[in-house]
Amino acid sequence: MTWELFLLFFQQSLMSGLVTGSIYALLALAMVMIFNTTDVPNFGQGEIFMVASYIALVLLVFASVPYLVMIPLTLAAVFFGGAIFQRLVLKRVALARGASVNLVIATLGLSYFLKGVMRQTGIAEVPRSFPALFPTDSVSIGMATATVQDFAILGLALAAMAAFFLFFHFTRTGRAMRAVGMNPRAAILVGVDIERMRWLVWGLSSAIAALAGILISPKLLMTADMGIVVILGFAAAIVGGFTSLPGAVVGGFVIGIVENMVGLFVSSKAIVVAPFLAIMLVLLLRPQGLLGGKATAKKV
Amino acid sequence: MSDLLALEGIAAGYGSIQALSGVSLRVTTGTIVALLGSNGAGKTTTLNTISRVVPLTGGRILFDGEPIHELPSSRVVMRGISQVPEGREIFARMSVEENLVIGAHVRRDRAGIAADLERVCDYFPVLKSRFRQMAGTLSGGEQQMLLIARALMARPRILLLDEPSLGLSPIMVQQIFKIIRRLNEDGLTVLLVEQNARLALAVSQYAYVMENGEIRFEGRSADLVKDDGLRRTYLGV
Repeated sequence: MTWELFLLFFQQSLMSGLVTGSIYALLALAMVMIFNTTDVPNFGQGEIFMVASYIALVLLVFASVPYLVMIPLTLAAVFFGGAIFQRLVLKRVALARGASVNLVIATLGLSYFLKGVMRQTGIAEVPRSFPALFPTDSVSIGMATATVQDFAILGLALAAMAAFFLFFHFTRTGRAMRAVGMNPRAAILVGVDIERMRWLVWGLSSAIAALAGILISPKLLMTADMGIVVILGFAAAIVGGFTSLPGAVVGGFVIGIVENMVGLFVSSKAIVVAPFLAIMLVLLLRPQGLLGGKATAKKV
Repeated sequence: MSDLLALEGIAAGYGSIQALSGVSLRVTTGTIVALLGSNGAGKTTTLNTISRVVPLTGGRILFDGEPIHELPSSRVVMRGISQVPEGREIFARMSVEENLVIGAHVRRDRAGIAADLERVCDYFPVLKSRFRQMAGTLSGGEQQMLLIARALMARPRILLLDEPSLGLSPIMVQQIFKIIRRLNEDGLTVLLVEQNARLALAVSQYAYVMENGEIRFEGRSADLVKDDGLRRTYLGV
């Protein structure tokens, strides 16, 4: 490999990695929020992401709703969907038998339920493509090329992350959500309504997954199985420590960039294994994740 | 003086284990009342029933004459009952300031909260100097101070203190108890759970002694101190 080619590949994988990484970061953020407050890895998140993308598609293409109305409408619908699942199903499962295995199974049930419903509607019968929200003209930065759409995805994802950061650190509700994640018992004792926080977090997390879906769908072929992408969000969350919100963001970009580097430097067939290699390296060398802090026991 | 808090024959249990049976106690406005007894006697469970973290299976809890035993825990805090839990139940990865601000979660008066940040730091000047530090990096004594300060941020009318001396150096314990006394002099009512009976009797006006989930003795703290039999049997001092 020549130095020129190396530089080209390096810059290109960095560029593409930032774009897809921003989506993984959003998905990981959504995952970590739920894990922190309700102690369950949400295996239904991929399907929330998938259904949200289809809701957006239906609104946009079949109902001809303009973008600026479609986006808030989709986010709101998915927010309430997630919140309702927590209140109707997860809360009861936790009360009936609090073992975390049962909660995990409940989220798996959500995943199959949503996929089944989507297949029933017939919309997901044929692969579809999502109309581009932004121009797809290419732009060059250094040696790398990207589209205007890519920049829009990255920009909007970063803006959403910044908004969430501000929300978590500077609002009463955001602070309470972090408190529940850090020490639920103490949160109850300062008067946080922990049940309310839990459904709010499910709603918010689902809305983040929906945003990720709306942003990335124009670059994907839409099928009922598109939720599989969330595996990479999982990978990002693990790389980031699974309980750290900034970690989730860093993890998302790491996975995105590693994936693209492996694709260019090794082989496009190796892309599939790259994230798992990254997980294993992190788990072996830094089990608490990149930003997971000291490996301390959370539960007593 | 009236009773600020009254427990009337409360019972509670975990599964088939009866943790409390027929516990009655009163806390008069403006006093410090101690709840003594050995490990596992049911002291912490009693506080947790008041905070509505452990459900009651019988009895009533009155706060300022009104029943509170069916309210959600957040409402109890809103009414003016703050618990300072045992152990180090801080928000370790939040700054000291954030821990204090979240103590005022049930309040909406921004100006009042800002003023109270200053006020609680009057009691605990060391917290002021650690404002931006992560709470998890504080020493054990400082964490205990932070817990009390956090509870004060809710503007409680009564403070439920669970083992504030646990695991602290004698000097730190003295310091904490001095502050508890000062808070009481400034008008705060306190229900104090302590294993260190001598300390608790010295600071309180009235005391209850628990054993096996029941109240065994009660009386003025000054009298209990002099009761040799009681001291040897139940208090180990």
